[in-house]
Amino acid sequence: MKWSRGTYNPPGTDNKQEDNKQTDDANVPASLQHTLDNFKDCTDLIHHTFPEINVNLVYFGHLVGSDELFRDVITPLTNVRENEVQALLTRNQYKLTPDSKSLIKGILNGQAAIFHNDKAYLIDIYKPGSRSIEQSETETVITGPHDSFIETATANLSLIRRRVKSSHLKVIKLEVGEVSKSTVYLLYIDGIANMEYVRELTDRINLIEVDAVYDGNMLIQYIDDSPNSVFPLFSTTERVDTAVSKLVAGRIVGILDGSPSVFAAPSSFFEFMASPDDYYQRWSTGTAIRVLRFIALIITLTFTALYVSVTTYHYEMIPEALLLTITESRSKVPFPPIYEALLMEITIELLREAGARLPTKIGQTIGIVGGIVIGQAAVQAGFTSNILIIAVASSAIASFVIPSYVMSASIRLIRFGLIIMAGILGDLGIALGIAYLVVHLSGLTSLNSSYLTPVSPNNFNDWRDVFIRAPFWALTRRPTQSRSPNAVRNRMRK
Amino acid sequence: MKEKLHPFHISVLVFMIQAGVVVFFLPRMLAQYMGYNGWVAIPLFSVVATFNIFLISIVYRLGDGRSIFQIMEQSLSKLIVYPVYTYLIVVWTLLGCIAAKQYIILFQVFVFPTTPIMYIKLLVDIIAFSLIIKGIYNISKAATVFFWMVIWTILMLTFFIKGFEWVNLTPFFFKESTNVVVGSISIFSSFLGYELVLLLFPYVDSKKGFMKAVYFGNFLTTIVYLSISFVCFGFYSFKQLTKMKFPLVDLLAYIRLPFVERVENIFLALYLVTSLMSITMYIWAATETAKSLIPRANKRWITAILVCCAFVVSWIPNMLSEVELWLKYLGYMALGIAFGLPLMLIAILVIHNGGKKIA
Repeated sequence: MKWSRGTYNPPGTDNKQEDNKQTDDANVPASLQHTLDNFKDCTDLIHHTFPEINVNLVYFGHLVGSDELFRDVITPLTNVRENEVQALLTRNQYKLTPDSKSLIKGILNGQAAIFHNDKAYLIDIYKPGSRSIEQSETETVITGPHDSFIETATANLSLIRRRVKSSHLKVIKLEVGEVSKSTVYLLYIDGIANMEYVRELTDRINLIEVDAVYDGNMLIQYIDDSPNSVFPLFSTTERVDTAVSKLVAGRIVGILDGSPSVFAAPSSFFEFMASPDDYYQRWSTGTAIRVLRFIALIITLTFTALYVSVTTYHYEMIPEALLLTITESRSKVPFPPIYEALLMEITIELLREAGARLPTKIGQTIGIVGGIVIGQAAVQAGFTSNILIIAVASSAIASFVIPSYVMSASIRLIRFGLIIMAGILGDLGIALGIAYLVVHLSGLTSLNSSYLTPVSPNNFNDWRDVFIRAPFWALTRRPTQSRSPNAVRNRMRK
Repeated sequence: MKEKLHPFHISVLVFMIQAGVVVFFLPRMLAQYMGYNGWVAIPLFSVVATFNIFLISIVYRLGDGRSIFQIMEQSLSKLIVYPVYTYLIVVWTLLGCIAAKQYIILFQVFVFPTTPIMYIKLLVDIIAFSLIIKGIYNISKAATVFFWMVIWTILMLTFFIKGFEWVNLTPFFFKESTNVVVGSISIFSSFLGYELVLLLFPYVDSKKGFMKAVYFGNFLTTIVYLSISFVCFGFYSFKQLTKMKFPLVDLLAYIRLPFVERVENIFLALYLVTSLMSITMYIWAATETAKSLIPRANKRWITAILVCCAFVVSWIPNMLSEVELWLKYLGYMALGIAFGLPLMLIAILVIHNGGKKIA
């Protein structure tokens, strides 16, 4: 998608006017008048003049640090005579910028432009306002580090650099968005990451044609392998330790300026089931929790669907003792199980969505209204059976056990498909639904590597860090999906 | 990067094509045709299948990993090659569709007596189509996941340790066997499926591991068939076994847990994936052959046409007995392909290579 002066142009049709203008800007010599013309009506642009030394200063006040501005620009300029200005500007922090395009881009990136004798210089004094580093609300852990990424990419880079003190950590700077010109940093560890992946990801980001990208989760939808799939194909995280672990595993990490969500690629379906907590606890506890998550995955996918299937077609599957309870609870319900289940599932989704949008204090009220009032009342009114309430609630709780919110949302959506299939064809419907799901997953790739790694292609060695969390002495190799040239951990190339 | 099939995937693929709905009635067939302790015949059939795989391995070695279509086309006239291709396409397509229909009828008999069979068949065919068009590498990936979905069910046999009576395994072997020749062919048909590896030559990753993987896949099938048959022969008496239509389904019905019983419903549904793999692989094989017959045709369209044809043909046999009859004759034809095709290819290669590589 390309944008120019508020006019939308569909993908594939380049805006020639914009391109021509940019080419023109690149050829136009940098001048004060041209710069001011470009920023006409931008009231937030600050223009200082120093007539006694024939210097003009242009910058955005909210993008630069005031200390840096005074220390590196204002003070030196006020302390020199006109014949000394040229000598001052030869210092290496002042970059001579001959063309207008680079100059404008520099100002937009938080640099100050200094004009003197038909020449323009840029000095980097970028220091945007940002929130402080806080705990992630979406990915909390009980033990382990609590700092998380913020919206400022440079701060995020510093968080990673603090943890990876290696010159092998490389950073590629790219730009996305015709209008927003957001910066994307691609991070990888040289010697561990596969350069084929780095090139592929760089190419994909360079090929994005869009007016603006606002978040890392949005960016990955432009660059993943199957944008139509319901599953997230690149993992995202707000946690620094998670991002660092991905880097060390040989994956490539991407930081979008303006977003606290950092993405990592390639990713596999099973990677979304891991949480940093698994590694901070004893391996046996970590393994138990991980197994619990896979059980939760099965529960959230099939529990309500099985209820519908059994109470619609397979009553013979219920043991005699349980049969009485179920038939009694269903006796008052006037709807077929599928309607009853869909009704409750939609109610749960409504509660979840409402709870997510409201402030925490009101969110709690929603929980009480939903959980107690609606649940209890629906059963008493004969709208639904209490067994179904248990099934739906268990499925909902199980879905929240999946650590990745994006994956959890995808799984919840798929659950509706399985419930409908169960309502139509019972157990066979569920089997058909799961078979189709597997077929779909088999076709998915993340950066051209199988999404079902390490189950398919099979690699038992990787299972030690997927289905269980083996002791650290057993986790000696990086995941095969990384195709790392340095597959054995702790053997860094010098 | 071009994706290739790893040996593990090949083993799993072979197992998933071989194993299918037949597990539900194999013990009965063994009892009917092989008599007392019929399960002992399983390793014998497995040996025959292993010999057949050995013939395929010779083709692979002599052909140096070339596709069988290349081997045939470079030595035989199109007048001979095209009818062979047509025969392969017809047999494999029919085998795929009728095997799937057999599963669906079985499921319908037990669970959905009033649901139209062809409605379920349509859904299965749609899934099979969406898998076939993804190519062999993705088919193998799906097969691996399906494999893990079904293989654990073999552990369910431990439920029958308590009810297992050694006395049912009488000291007599193959007594009261009837119709041994016809029966043997029927039972051996349950091992068929490995012959499709003939078409995997261009897609394999490791030359050394490939044939070992095929042997291992067949070995896995043997172990599974043997375990199921052994448990059935020990759990039921011989006479009971000969009279039961689907002994394994009845066996599973014995499993009772505090919160669920009659789990055969779940297992029947779960075994959908093995039938799905059979139909997928047979129609994939037919598609590959059709692509060699009409090289210019679009693979996706060929698959669509074959799946549609399979769907229409599967409308014809209605009853389980009719389907079994079709499968019996198709089994004969597939058996002919399983032995005939490698032998023909060996002959071609020997003549073409002048016997240089045989030693």
